[in-house]
Amino acid sequence: MSAPIEIANITKRYGALTVLEDITLHIEPGEFVVFLGPSGCGKSTLLRMIAGLEAVDGGTISLGGERIDTLPPGKRGVAMVFQSYALYPHMTVAQNMGFGLENLKTPKNEIARRVQSAAETLEIAHLLDRKPAKLSGGQRQRVAIGRAIVKEPQAFLFDEPLSNLDAALRGRTRLELAQLHQRLGATMIFVTHDQVEAMTLADRIVILNDRRIEQMGAPMEIYQRPATKFVAQFVGSPAMCFLPVTGMTDAAQGVTLDVEGAGKIEIDVRLPAGFRRDGASVGIRAEDAKVLDRGQPGIAVGVKVVERLGDRAFIYGTLDNGTEFVVEDSGRSTVASGDVIQIGFDPNALHIFDGDGRAYHHSEEA
Amino acid sequence: MADRSAFSPENLTANRTLFWIAAVLAALMLAPVLWILGLSLKNNQDLMHGTDAVFRAPYTLKNYADILVNSQVFGWFLNSLIVATGQTLGVLTLCSLAGYAFARLEFPFRRAIFIIVLFGLAVPEQAVIIARHQMFNWVGLHNTHIALMLPGMSSAFGVFLMTQFFNAIPKEIDEAAMLDNTSQFRIFWKVLLPLTLPAQATLGIFTFLLAWNDYWWPLISATKKEMYTLTIGIASTQTNFAQSEGLGFLSAQAIFASLPVVIVYIFFQRHIVTAVSGGAVK
Repeated sequence: MSAPIEIANITKRYGALTVLEDITLHIEPGEFVVFLGPSGCGKSTLLRMIAGLEAVDGGTISLGGERIDTLPPGKRGVAMVFQSYALYPHMTVAQNMGFGLENLKTPKNEIARRVQSAAETLEIAHLLDRKPAKLSGGQRQRVAIGRAIVKEPQAFLFDEPLSNLDAALRGRTRLELAQLHQRLGATMIFVTHDQVEAMTLADRIVILNDRRIEQMGAPMEIYQRPATKFVAQFVGSPAMCFLPVTGMTDAAQGVTLDVEGAGKIEIDVRLPAGFRRDGASVGIRAEDAKVLDRGQPGIAVGVKVVERLGDRAFIYGTLDNGTEFVVEDSGRSTVASGDVIQIGFDPNALHIFDGDGRAYHHSEEA
Repeated sequence: MADRSAFSPENLTANRTLFWIAAVLAALMLAPVLWILGLSLKNNQDLMHGTDAVFRAPYTLKNYADILVNSQVFGWFLNSLIVATGQTLGVLTLCSLAGYAFARLEFPFRRAIFIIVLFGLAVPEQAVIIARHQMFNWVGLHNTHIALMLPGMSSAFGVFLMTQFFNAIPKEIDEAAMLDNTSQFRIFWKVLLPLTLPAQATLGIFTFLLAWNDYWWPLISATKKEMYTLTIGIASTQTNFAQSEGLGFLSAQAIFASLPVVIVYIFFQRHIVTAVSGGAVK
């Protein structure tokens, strides 16, 4: 039921506008891959090209070793769950789920068996005679997934399927999707702009930006070792803080950076000879910085807003030079807006970005 | 102090006033219909002394019985039914296909052709009637049911309505069907067409009423008495100077002629209201 997907040198153009350029990607059988990126980055277009809903302008797509980009959507062996669910409003849940099999001339008793089985898996067996208008958003979502399951496809494609659900239901459905993947062991591609969905569901995240793949890797790899400044600021909430680097000298262990607003910082990192210094910066995540006790020397931050989440608090403020900064504190934090606090961080938690936006991390070999 | 719990929109003075205005207007509109109905239930001789006889008994169904045995009304009724039903089916078929094509298919000059179709809305029937008459005469179609149906089947309004309706259906529905291995025709027939039923009902009702009430084209095309539709047939008896058929009988014919329209309205009232309100009420 699961098959590998091979995307080779895919290009997509709309007139003079190139949306995707030379995308190459291999997806393992049974892998859960999430396409993540900002609006308009081409992630949905790439998914729709795999589904056969968009023409391919260059390159090939193969599923289970067979080239599929020349086949019509219904012959590709994929099933897709749409953002709007796209259920047939005039058909019952059972008819919605069985319609694809009916088109394939599957025997009626086999259709009934598969529909019943999928409905039981998704706990919607009691809804089979209802029409979509009589279902809640979550139930419609399950029907859409059920419609995909009954076809027993080689790969499942999800196009932002959770974005129409409320926050609580989104969290629950996310968990159920993860369980469904474990149970079916099917190859799944999931498109989202929600990084929480990406981080929690994916075996591997593919980050798309500006027509190309910015980085692909396991969720924690993406989070901890972003390949570019774009990935560093796109993944993680709150977003990573960046401080401009104004000077750089070699040190015994790595380099000493002159960071605007934070002074001289020595980091154990090997930078390549071609490192572009103009426009370089360092980045730090909120959880890598900490609020120092009163009297301890650190970097001064004027607090503007304190966002309390219960178990922790995010303190938003500015450095002396006006650079915005955010630091995480415990849920019992007594910091209030208007305070001036001192913060500190482990220099090796910093991420260094050259003028071209390429990232370097602690102890990384160039 | 007023009892706030007693507040209800129904109690508003403005609503009560609107209700009575609507009731008076409805009574005014209903009065001629009731008048004709009253006349149809009276003996022709009684009405010759004065139409105020309508307010006095006795009443009779003889005029209605005469329609079925003595007059040609039943034949004209059948003609109207064939023409209106045929024209409605034709309009629904052609407009659904055209609407789907304009909304969903890619073909050369699609926009230009759609605009040309829309121009049809601006061309009055009077401007083409002579050419149409000559064309039907040349083909020898006059005095046939087909001749009475054909002109009404080219409905620019219908094409526009169906195109807009197909456009309003999310494209994801088509895409889901494509992934369900559905052919182009099956997407149209099994998936999209059932979703256009409200528009079909609206268009069907309007076309039926238009065809049923059409006077001008049948007057030109149907010259033989047996090919008259109801509108032409009844008008031909009303122009009988001696009124030899009697006022009661004429009224019974009018009531008989309007029955299908009333029945259509009763059964499809919801769709007519939706059409008139332009979809503002969901």
